[in-house]
Amino acid sequence: MELLFLLILVLLMASALGSGFPVAFALPGSAILTIGLAALSGYLFAGDVGAYFAQGGPVQWLTAGVTNFRGIYWEAERDTLIAIPLFVFMGIMLQRSKIAEDLLVTMAQLFGPIPGGLGISVVFVGALLAATTGIVGATVVAMGLISLPAMMRSNYSPSLATGTIAASGTLGQIIPPSIVLIILADQLASAVDQASTTRKALHKAATGELSMPSEFDIVSTSAGDMFMGAFVPGLVLVGLYMVFILVLALLRPGVAPPVSFEGRFDTRFAGRVLLILVPPLTLIFVVLGSIIAGVATVNQAGAIGAAGATIMAGYRLYEGRPGTYRPAMLAVGSIVALALLANIAPINVKSIHSGADVIALILASIAAAVFIAAVAWSFWRTFKIEDTLRGVMVETAKTTSLVFIILLGAAMLTAAFRAFGGEDLVREFLTGLPGGFWTQFVIVMAVIFFLGFFLDFIEIAVVVVPIVAPILLSDPSANVTAVWLGVMIGLNIQTSFLTPPFGFALFYLRGVAPAVIKTLQIYKGVVAFIGLQLLALVIVGNYPSLVNYLPARISLTSETAPPPINPKLQHCIEEMLFETYDARGGELRAAIAAARGLEFGYLPKQLRSALSDGLGKAEATFDRVAEVRRTGAALNAQADGFRPLHREVRAIQSDIAKIEAETKDLLTRISRIRDGDEKAVARRASLEAKLAELGAERDDLEAAIPADWARESKAFTELLTANSRSRALYRRNVDGAYEPIAEAVATIAGADRLAALGGELAGLSQVIADSPPAEAADRVREVARLIGGVESTRAIKSPLEKARRALKAKDPNSTLAAEQLEKALQAYDQDLAWRQRAMAELLPGLQAYEAAIRDTIGLRRQSRLPPKQALAVASCSSHHRDVSLSF
Amino acid sequence: MTAAQPDSIDDFVPSGLTQACRYVAWAIVATLFAFLLNVYLTFWLGWPGATAAFKDGAALAWLQLLLYELALAGPVVFVIKAKSRSLRRDSLTITAMAAYIVRAAFWMVLLVGLADALISFLRVEGLLQALVGEQLTQDLGRNKFRGPYVHMPLIVLSLIVAARSKTLGFTWLALLVVLAELLIVITRFVFSYEQAFMGDLVRFWYGGLFLFASAYTLLEDGHVRVDVLYSGFSERTKGMVNAGGALLLGIPLCWVVLAVGLGQRSSIITSPLLALEVTQAGFGMYVKYLLAAFLAIFAVSMMLQFAATALDGVADWRGDPGKRRTPSDNGHWAPGVE
Repeated sequence: MELLFLLILVLLMASALGSGFPVAFALPGSAILTIGLAALSGYLFAGDVGAYFAQGGPVQWLTAGVTNFRGIYWEAERDTLIAIPLFVFMGIMLQRSKIAEDLLVTMAQLFGPIPGGLGISVVFVGALLAATTGIVGATVVAMGLISLPAMMRSNYSPSLATGTIAASGTLGQIIPPSIVLIILADQLASAVDQASTTRKALHKAATGELSMPSEFDIVSTSAGDMFMGAFVPGLVLVGLYMVFILVLALLRPGVAPPVSFEGRFDTRFAGRVLLILVPPLTLIFVVLGSIIAGVATVNQAGAIGAAGATIMAGYRLYEGRPGTYRPAMLAVGSIVALALLANIAPINVKSIHSGADVIALILASIAAAVFIAAVAWSFWRTFKIEDTLRGVMVETAKTTSLVFIILLGAAMLTAAFRAFGGEDLVREFLTGLPGGFWTQFVIVMAVIFFLGFFLDFIEIAVVVVPIVAPILLSDPSANVTAVWLGVMIGLNIQTSFLTPPFGFALFYLRGVAPAVIKTLQIYKGVVAFIGLQLLALVIVGNYPSLVNYLPARISLTSETAPPPINPKLQHCIEEMLFETYDARGGELRAAIAAARGLEFGYLPKQLRSALSDGLGKAEATFDRVAEVRRTGAALNAQADGFRPLHREVRAIQSDIAKIEAETKDLLTRISRIRDGDEKAVARRASLEAKLAELGAERDDLEAAIPADWARESKAFTELLTANSRSRALYRRNVDGAYEPIAEAVATIAGADRLAALGGELAGLSQVIADSPPAEAADRVREVARLIGGVESTRAIKSPLEKARRALKAKDPNSTLAAEQLEKALQAYDQDLAWRQRAMAELLPGLQAYEAAIRDTIGLRRQSRLPPKQALAVASCSSHHRDVSLSF
Repeated sequence: MTAAQPDSIDDFVPSGLTQACRYVAWAIVATLFAFLLNVYLTFWLGWPGATAAFKDGAALAWLQLLLYELALAGPVVFVIKAKSRSLRRDSLTITAMAAYIVRAAFWMVLLVGLADALISFLRVEGLLQALVGEQLTQDLGRNKFRGPYVHMPLIVLSLIVAARSKTLGFTWLALLVVLAELLIVITRFVFSYEQAFMGDLVRFWYGGLFLFASAYTLLEDGHVRVDVLYSGFSERTKGMVNAGGALLLGIPLCWVVLAVGLGQRSSIITSPLLALEVTQAGFGMYVKYLLAAFLAIFAVSMMLQFAATALDGVADWRGDPGKRRTPSDNGHWAPGVE
C-alpha cells in the first residue's frame, strides 16, 4: 500500500513542478499532501493513521522533515553552508563592477589573431569568471552581448559561437568556488555517515569482528576538499573546450576564422592586459590559495573574497575620476604590511609579553585599521555610486534564500520519500542490478543527466544525492571516495544548464542573441559541448587521481596532517616503503652494520640490550618485508579466482538477510494478533502461510550457495589473516627497531643537562645538614624533579626519593637521608661518566644511524610525514582500492 | 477607501468567487494570529489550551477555542462590510503585514546581535565586571536574565522601529554576514584571536538572512520555477497556478512548520524558546533560542505572503488591473550562481 502513496507522491510532485509553481514549495507541499492523504486513508480504512507508511507515522515524518530543515542553520556541523551567501555576495559584487566586460574585450583582442582565437578567449574569460563571479546567468548574458556580435561579425558559425558562450558560461558550476560544490559537500557528509554504518554492518556480518579496521572506512569530504577535488577536472574541461575550438578552426577555418587586431601589441596594450587580468587573478589566488594552503576555512575565504570584490568594485565603479585607486592601494599596502609583520613578529593578542610584542601589536592595529578603512571606503563608494551596494544586497538575499528554501523543500521531500519506503525501493533496485558498482553508478549518472533536462542543479543535488550516495559509497569493491563521487555528480549536473528545453544558459543566451540566430542553431551548438562534458566525465571517471590527489596532498602536508602511524595510511606507506627498501636496501644494511660496529659495552645493561635488540629488529626488517610480500602474493594469486564466488555468495547472503528481516517482521505481526474472532484466525493463517513461503525461499537460497564455499572461504580467510598478521609483525618490528635508538640518542644527549645539575645535587648534603627537615625535603624534591627531567635517571632519582621520605617522616631521620644522598651522588657520578663518554664516542654514530633509518624503518614513529613521503602517499591514496574481499 | 482610478488596483468588480477568496485569505490570516496567541497563552501563561475544552471544559480553554471561532467569523464580517475592497488591495495589506514582521525581525537580529555580541565579548575578556559590577556580571551570565532583561527590551524596541521605518531592512543582513565573517578573518589572522561568540554572530545573521528573505523573494517571484510549461502559460493560467499552489502547497507547508514547531511544550521551536536555550560552547552568544524562533518567523511571514499571493493569483486570473511587475517579467531572473 505504501507503494501506492509513493506513486502518488511522485505524480503530485511531477505535476506540481510541471505547473511551474516555485520548486522550493512544490517539493515540500506535495510531500505534505501525500503524507496527509496517507494518514487520512489509514485512519478511514485501517483505523490507524500510520497504517500506510513503510514505518513510523505521519507526525513522526513531518517532525523529521521540519527538524532536518532547522538543522541547516541550527547544527554547527553544517556551518560550511555559511559560505554560500559570502560567495554569492562576492560574485554579484564583481558582476556589477563590470569586470566581465573588461575581460571579454581585452582577451578577444589578445587571442583574436590565432585560429579560433575569439572562441578560445571566450572560454578563457569564462574560466576566469567562473573562479571569481561564477554567476551563470550574468556570464552568459555578458558574453552574449559582447562576444557574440564580435564573433558574428568575424563570420563565426552561429552554432559554434553560441555553443561556446553557453558552455563557457556554465564553467562556474564546476570551477571552485562554487555553490553546487558546497551543497554537494553538505549532502555528502551525511551520506558518508550512513554509508559508513552500512559498511560496518557488512563487515561485521562477513567477518564476525565487532569493529572494522579504519583503513576500510569511507574517505569523507568537506567543502574545501570538494573545491580542491574539482579544480583539476575543471581545468580538464576548460582544456577540452579550447582544444576542441582550436582543432575545429584548423580543420575547417570557415567556422572560426582568425580576427586581425586593429591596434598594436605594444607596451600600452600589455599594460592594459595586465591591469585587466591581475586583479581577478589575484582574487582567485587569494581566495583559492588560502583554502589550498589550509590557512583559511572556506567561510573565511568567502569573506576575504567578498571584501576583495568590494575593493575591486570600489575602483572600477569610480573609474575616470581622480583618486580612483586610492582605497585599493591602501588595502594592498596594509595587507603587505600585515603579511610582513606576521612573518617578522607573529602577534598573539593573548600573550603580549615583551616590548617588541607591544610595538608589533600597535603596528598591526594601525595596519588593520587602515585595511578596515580601505574596505569601508570601497563599501561607501559602492553604496553611493549607482546604488550598487543595495542591489548587491537584495540579489544576495534573494539568491541565498532561494537556494536554502529549496534545501527545506528537499528535506521534507526526502522525509516523505523515506516514509513510503522509497529509499528501500531504490536501494533494492540498485543493488539488485547485475554488474556491481559500475552498473549502479552508470544508471545513477544517467538518471541525473536525464533529470538535468528538467531540473536545476540545486534540486538534483539535494533530492538525488541523499538517496543514492549512501548506496554508491558503501560499496567496498569500488571503494570510491566521497569527493570523487561529488565531483562526478557536479560535472554531470553541469550539463543541466545546457540541456534543452530547461537549460538556464540557453534561456539567457536566447534572451540576448539577435533574432538572426535561430533557437535550433543554439541547441545544435551546445550538443558538441555536452559531448565534451561527457568526455570529461569519462576521463575523470577513469583517472580518479585527478580528483583525489589534491585533497589528499593538502591533507597530508597541512599543519593538521595525520601522523604516519595512522592506520588509514599504513597501506600506502608500506607500498611506498617496500619499494624504498628495494632501492636503498644496501644503504640501509650498511647503516645497520655500521651501527653494529659501534662500541657500547660500557653502557648500562638495560640500554645496551635495548640497543642491540633494536639493531636486531632493524636487520630483521627485510625478512619481515619478504614475508609480507610472500603472504600478499599468495593472497593475490587466489584473489582473482575467489572473487566471482565471493560476490555470488555475498549476494545470496544479502538476500537471505533480507528474508530473515521479513521473517522477523512477520513473527512480530503474528504475535500481535489477539485470538478471538474468525477474522483474526484467517489473518493468522495467511501470515503463517507467508512465513512458510519465506522459509522455503530461504532454504532454496541456502541450497544455492555452492558446496565449495565453506572450504574456499575458509582457505581465503586464512590467507587474509596470514597477510594481515605478517603486516602487523612488520609494523611491530620496525617500531621496535626505531624506538630504542631514538631513546638512546635522547638519553646520551642528556649528559650536558645532567652535568649542569651536579652542583645542585652536591649542595644538597649541606642543605640536609643545616636546614629544618621540612625545608630540606622540599629542596630535595625540587632537585629530584630537575634530575627526572633528564631521560633515564631513575638510578639517581630513587635514592633521592628515599632521602626525601626520610626527611618528611613523622620522625625525621637526617642520617638516613644523608646516606641515601650519598648513594644518589655515586649513581650520578657513574651515570655521568658513561653518558659523557658515550656522548663523545657513540652519539655521532648513533645519530647518523637514526638519520639513516628515520624516513624508512623509523617513519611510523615520526610525528608527521616528511614532504617527499607525503606526496608519494598522497599519490598512492588517490587511487581507489578494492577492499571487497575483506568483507 | 480612495476613489477608484482607471487601471488602478482599486478598480474592481466583486463577485461571489472573489468574496469567497477574500474570506479564505483573511480567515487564514486571522487563524494564524489566533494560533500564535493561543500558543502564547498556553505555554507561557499556562492556560489549558483550546483542545482541552473538549476534555475537561475549563473556562479558559473555552475562551481559547472562542479565539478560533472569532478568527473564522470575523473575516465574514470584514469581507461583507468592505465588499468593494479589491483583491489587490487586500493582497497589498497582507503583504504589508508580512513586510512589517520581517522588518521587525531584522531590527531584532540587528540590535540583539550587536548587543549580545558586545556583552559576550566583554564577558569573555573579563571586562564586564569593571564596567557594570559583580552582581550584574553574574546576572548577565545567566540566560534567564539576559533573555528577559536584555533581549526583550531590544525586541520591543525593534517592533517600534519597524513600525516607524519603511525600508526592507533584511537585505542589510547580507552585508552584515560578510562583515561579521570578515571580522573573524581580521582578528584571527592579525591578532590570533578567535572566540565562540564571533561564529555565533555570523550564524545568527546568516540564519536570519535566508529565512527572512524568503517572503520578499516570493513577492519578487525570485524562487526558482520549472518553467518548461509555465513560461508558455497565459496570464490567466499563471494566476491560477500561483493561487492554487499557494493554497494547496504553500500554506499547508507553513501550517506544518508551525504545528510541528509550536504544537507542544516539547516542540522544536517552543522548547528552546521556553528554556531560553543557549549554545553548549562556553562564552558564546545567548541567542540560540532566537534562532529557533526564526523558523516561526519564516513560517508566519510565508503564510501571510502566500495568502497575498493567492489573492493576487485570483486577480491575475480574473484579469484585474494593477498587476504588480516583477523582475521575472523582464526576462529570467538569474539563479544559478556559483
